[in-house]
Formats: sequence, structure tokens, C-alpha cells
Amino acid sequence: MRLLVVEDDNDTAGFVLEGLRSRGHEADLAENGRQGLALAIVGAYEVIMLDRMLPELDGLAVAKAPRLAGVSTPVLFLTNLSGIDDRVEGLEAGGDDYLVKPFAMDELMARLGALGRRPTLGAEPTLLKVLDLEMDLIKRTVRRNGEAIELQPREFQLLEFLIRSEGRIVTRKMLLELVWGFHFDPRTNIVETHISRLRRKVDRDRNPPLILTVRGAGYSLRAPN
Amino acid sequence: MPQTSLIRSTSFRLAANYLLLFTLSVLLLGLFLYASVRNEIGHDFDARIVEESESLQSDFAKHGLEWLQDAIVAHGVGGGGLTYGLKDAHGKPFAGDLTDGGYSDEDVRAGWIEMREDQSEERGDGPPEIVRALFTRLADGSILVVGDEQRRSTGVMRAIFWVFVWALAATLGLGTLGGLYSSSLFLRRIEAMSQTARGIMAGDWRRRIPESKANDELSAVARTFNRMFDRIEKLLEANKHVSADIAHDLRKPLARTLRRLEAARGDDAAPEIAKAAIETGIADIQGVLETFNALLRIGQIEAGARRAAFKPLDLTEIAGEVADAFRPAAEEEGKTLVARLETPLPMSGDRELRTQMIANLVDNALRHTPKGIVIEVASERGAGGTQFIVADNGTGGAVAERERIFERFYRVDAARATPGSGLGLSLVAAIAELHGLNCKASDNGPGLRVTIDLV
Repeated sequence: MRLLVVEDDNDTAGFVLEGLRSRGHEADLAENGRQGLALAIVGAYEVIMLDRMLPELDGLAVAKAPRLAGVSTPVLFLTNLSGIDDRVEGLEAGGDDYLVKPFAMDELMARLGALGRRPTLGAEPTLLKVLDLEMDLIKRTVRRNGEAIELQPREFQLLEFLIRSEGRIVTRKMLLELVWGFHFDPRTNIVETHISRLRRKVDRDRNPPLILTVRGAGYSLRAPN
Repeated sequence: MPQTSLIRSTSFRLAANYLLLFTLSVLLLGLFLYASVRNEIGHDFDARIVEESESLQSDFAKHGLEWLQDAIVAHGVGGGGLTYGLKDAHGKPFAGDLTDGGYSDEDVRAGWIEMREDQSEERGDGPPEIVRALFTRLADGSILVVGDEQRRSTGVMRAIFWVFVWALAATLGLGTLGGLYSSSLFLRRIEAMSQTARGIMAGDWRRRIPESKANDELSAVARTFNRMFDRIEKLLEANKHVSADIAHDLRKPLARTLRRLEAARGDDAAPEIAKAAIETGIADIQGVLETFNALLRIGQIEAGARRAAFKPLDLTEIAGEVADAFRPAAEEEGKTLVARLETPLPMSGDRELRTQMIANLVDNALRHTPKGIVIEVASERGAGGTQFIVADNGTGGAVAERERIFERFYRVDAARATPGSGLGLSLVAAIAELHGLNCKASDNGPGLRVTIDLV
């Protein structure tokens, strides 16, 4: 992926750039808001990672301006501000996702993966399919190898999210935020128990198992290859 | 700190103002009374003379001058109090006591004249008397004079004047003394207050303002201040605990990480040891960060910055979603999560925060209960309004512990072994407070019952 990192803190910038490059991504760095904005408009990046508090031009302004110029590159805010309102503000300014520092590189990669392949335009498919698993979004039915599978609404939502992210890692945090709307981390294993129920319904006695655990990072739905 | 001077005290100034007003009103009253009495006495004085003069005139008309002359002498001796005189047409007196006082011939026409009578028989060598007299010219040209010593009326006026002077002096004297007395009483109580405040400033937090039995506004103020001091002392105490608790809670994982990293630093350390050190280091530091985040979040919520984002949303709706999210986990642990949410709980608030409030309550119930218990998430109509309840039938806790579970870092003794920051319920309390809700913990007989009252 071709990525832009706008970050004034050298340590964080170094850590992020190294992490991205070691995973085979191409990443540019802008050290202040003005430079970041210039690169964001002309640079043709897949995702822009934006610090909230930047010298010369605030991160919110850097997120807003390209949209006005017709550039719709997804923006991922990376920020120290853990304020409850800060996320809302960031998303309102045109940010697509929000990650509070400190974060794990795996978490960042998972978010970038989700943002980079976010379908920008076009008709939403009504039928999702991964190998022998089929999901009908209109009839709200799921079949595996032709057999109907009964799912609770939340399990359906969870599986839908996994299918849409097929082949990519989704983290616990992402699932909590996007499936349950929980922007905090309960100590109870909500995600784990739901995943294990879903597994029992989708994967039991069937091969190959589709819902995979990525140790220390999250979950992933097996890609066809 | 200089003591407030009595004269400059507020209460004395107040008393002085009242005194001034009172004095002014006494003065006005005196003036009014003086003027009206004087008027009345003057009127009476003149009327008596006029009446006498007219009666003498009619006597003259009936009986002639000789008769009048005799009458004047008889009246003057008779002691009616008046003095008389008769003058011929040229002003020369020929009968009566009123002889030639200090008046000239030209004056001798008719009307009122005030004159000095030098030789007053009654008073000897006393000061000259002022006599007010009515001159009337009779038909034959002679003049009838009827008068009276003004001393009689000025005496009354003087008496009234002195009564008022004394009354004024008494008012001023008593008022000043009373003002000083009440001010000193007031100042003494104020001084007791500021002494207490100074003591507290010096660090003696146990001190309280002595509360008098009198149920006046000053003791009401004293009571309010004492309650404030109680609250501040409690907060300070809690703060002290929190700082100590933060230090205690964070030192353990950091010390452990340090120890392991030091062990892994040596060149001869086995790679497994280094790896283990890194793993525990990451886990410990994540835990520390979580604690910090929770503290920051509580701080932000307590600052109340989020009220702007309040939207109306039924609490039972959120509670239903939270219960659904936690149910599989509860079942996995061999516990039952029941939702009884028939009574609607409409209210305005922040969706995210209220979600976290309910989630933390359920989280807490799940973590501190044994297998096989039932956790109930319910909405009810109580005596004082509707309420939201999260209850379990686990072991609960001692009464003393129950009251403290909303405090930061407080963990009931039995819960010390389980992981957790001890901040979950503090966050619940902070969110409830932000929404103006009252939350309390009670005995569920057995178990813990947390009730959130919606007003």
C-alpha cells in the first residue's frame, strides 16, 4: 500500500514508518500539518495516517481540506487525545477511523487493511460468498455447503463483518467498536465467546475451518487461497 | 491577621445607621410636637386675652369708664393671672398694672404688643418679664390693655424641649451601647469562624466552627461551613488514598517488568527468558496504561464536558443490548444473565457513556461471583420513581465494604485476587453523576444489588 504518515513526534513516526516498511508498504512522512496537507492532495495515497495535534496546521483541518478539494483518501487519526469527544470530532471532520496511542502495530495494520479496501463507490452486493459459505443480506440467511445455519442477529453481524474483511485481520477492538459499538474494552470476553459460538455454528464438523484466530492480533476469515 | 475593630465592624455600622435614623425620627417628632404645642399654647394664650378684653369692652359699653376702671383693679387683684392697664387717649396710663412699658406713643394704636415689664413684684430681681398684651381703643379714645406674662407658655415649651433633649441623649447613649454590645457578640462569633478557618489553613482539618444553639442565620452559616469542611476533608482523604493507591497499583507491574528485563539483559540470558520478559513487560505496561486511561476517563467525565452530546434514549434499550452482548460469556462461565426490562426508562444522556456504565456493572457482577449464580438486569417502578438495577445472588460483601465500592481503587478484600483496576465502579458512579442519577449499593440477600435511581 502507498501510505502517508503525518506525525511530528519523531519516535512515533519512526516506529510507524519502520513497521509499515518492514511489512512491505510504501510510506511517506510529513512532519507538520502544512506539508501533510500538500502531500495529501497531490500524493495519491491509499490511506493517510494523521496525528491530531500538529505544528502549523491542526490535524482536523488537514483531514477536512482534501475532501473540499475532491480528494477522498481515507483518513486514520492517530492520537494521544483519549478524550471521549475527540473521536467524535475526528470522525466528524472527515476521519474514517480513529486509533489512540499507544497502539500495537498489528492493530494499526488491521485498521489500514480495513480502510484501504473500503469500497468507495458502486452497488453493494446483496450476496456475500467465501468458499462454500454464503450470506444473503436481504433474506438474512446463511448457508454453508448448502445447509442453512441459524444465527442470532449479533452473530450474523459479526460474520458479515468477517466476510467483508476476508483474508485480513480484524482485531478485538475493531469488532467491539464496529459490531457492538463499545468504545471501551470490557474485561469480560464478549468477542471471544461470540466468536466461539459462531465457530460452533459455522465451522463445526466442516472443513476447512473458516474462522481463524490470529494469535495476539485478532481474527480472520480464511481467504480462498 | 489584624482583628476587626469593633467600631468598623459591619454589625456596628448597621447599628449606627439605625441609630442615626432613629435619632432623626426622634428629632423630627420633637420638632413637630414642639411646633404644634407652641402653636396651640400661643393660640390659647391669645384667646384668653381676647376673651377677657372683649368682656371688659362690653362692660365698658354698659357701665362706662368708671366701672371699667374698678373692674380692672378688681380683676388684677383677683389673681386671674392676667395683667391690665387703661390709658387715656394720649397713651398716659391711669389705671392697672400695665404702666409705661417699653413702648412709645406711636405704638399705642391697637393690636398685639410684646413689652418688657421691669418691675415684676412676684419675681423680685429676676430677669425682666416679657408681657404680651392686646391694646384696644375704646369708644371714648382711651385704651384698654390686657396682657399676660409669656413666662407661662415658655415654661411649658422649655419643659418639652428638655424632655426631648434627654430622650435624644438616652437614645444616642443606649443605641451606641447596644450597637457596641451586639457588634461584639457578632464579632466574637465571626472571630470564632475565622479562627477555625485559620486553623484549617494551617493544616488542622479536624477543626470545626462551634455551632451555637441559637438557630439564627449565623449558626446556619456555621453549619454550612462545617458541612463543607467535612466534604473537603473527605475528598482530601480520598485523594490521599487515590495517590497512594495509584502508586501502589502501578509499582507492582513496573517493578516486575524491571526485574525481568534486568534478568534478560545479560548476554548469557537464554532467549526464552528474554522473550518471557518482553511478554510480561508488554502485558504489565498495557495494564498500567489501561489504569491511566480509566483514570483519565473518570476525570473527563467528572469534569462534565460531555453534557453537550446528550440525546434522549431509553436506558432499557441500551441495557438490552449490553445484556445480549454479555450473555454468551456469562453462560460460558456457568452463570445466568436475566434481563427484565419491561418498565421503560426514558432519559437524556450520552449513549456511549451509558453503555459503558451498564457494561461495567454487568462486568463487575460477572467477575466477582461464583459459578451458578443469576445476574439480573432490570428496570422497575419504585416508590420514588423508576430505577435501573443490576443485581446478583452471589456472596455480596460486608455492609462497610458495600458503601465504598464506588471509590477509586477500592476493591473488596475477596476481590483482591481477581484482576482489575478497581476503577470500574468508580466510572459507573462518575457517569451516573454526570447524568444526574443517584447510584447506590445494597444487599440483595444474598448478593450485591446496585440501584440507579432515575428522578
